[in-house]
Amino acid sequence: MLKTRTWIIGFAAVAVVLAVLAIRLSSPRSEGNIAVISQDGKVLREIDLSRVTEEYRFTVETDDGGSNEILVQPGRICVSEADCPDKICVKQGWLTDSPLPIVCAPHKLVIEIKGAADAVDAAAR
Amino acid sequence: MDTKRITHLALLTAISLILFTVEAQIPPPVPVPGVKLGLANIITVYVAFRFGIWDALMVLLARIVLGSAVTGAVGAMIFSLSGGLLCWLVMIPLRRILTQKQIWVCGVVGAVFHNIGQTLACIAVYQTTAVLVYLPALLLSGMATGLFTGLTAQYLLKRLEGRL
Repeated sequence: MLKTRTWIIGFAAVAVVLAVLAIRLSSPRSEGNIAVISQDGKVLREIDLSRVTEEYRFTVETDDGGSNEILVQPGRICVSEADCPDKICVKQGWLTDSPLPIVCAPHKLVIEIKGAADAVDAAAR
Repeated sequence: MDTKRITHLALLTAISLILFTVEAQIPPPVPVPGVKLGLANIITVYVAFRFGIWDALMVLLARIVLGSAVTGAVGAMIFSLSGGLLCWLVMIPLRRILTQKQIWVCGVVGAVFHNIGQTLACIAVYQTTAVLVYLPALLLSGMATGLFTGLTAQYLLKRLEGRL
């Protein structure tokens, strides 16, 4: 039997480690500004955001009729409209150089900045 | 299994289904995929300690299957299932070592393992490790919500003892 105090101290320690990891993972990385849009594990498009000069939109559709409208502007990308139930992808807002990807779970859509995923591997080691 | 027990478990399954459905209507507070309150976990913890680990599994599976049918998110069932099962697995040893005043621990650890299960399913389904970046934030929120649901289950067990 562990004492209640042991549990509390254990959880507090884990929470601190997680908080540090969360902050480190969300800090932006300087290099790499290529947005990779993939669905169901397949890469659909790669867009070099630093070379975008004019705003444009395109739509990504799922096999069963769902859709996400993606808005691209110079240096940044976001999901502007979606017909998924929770709209988390829209609420996640603009993606510029953050390693945190935009994820639309119901539509299996992931938008991430290339090179940013290396931060995950580094943290995992 | 006697009739009273079946009725009791059915009632608890119905309650967890209601919690699950109501929670699905609440807009997500933070834009991190997978973050939620996990109110239905109160019932899983309650059943695990009040009845037994196998009863908890039955209520959990019934809630997940019926829950995805009710909310219409059948595609998301794989995430609920992997998270729920992993959460249930860690409850087996926890149930033996925790005292009556430490049941909240079950909520915290259960929620964390639910999040780990979800993330693993996510990696398997999307074939990408990109979602791993969210794991620390997801686990932190899981610890906070798990503390809440765990404490709720603990007080429920204390208050309802001998009454139901």
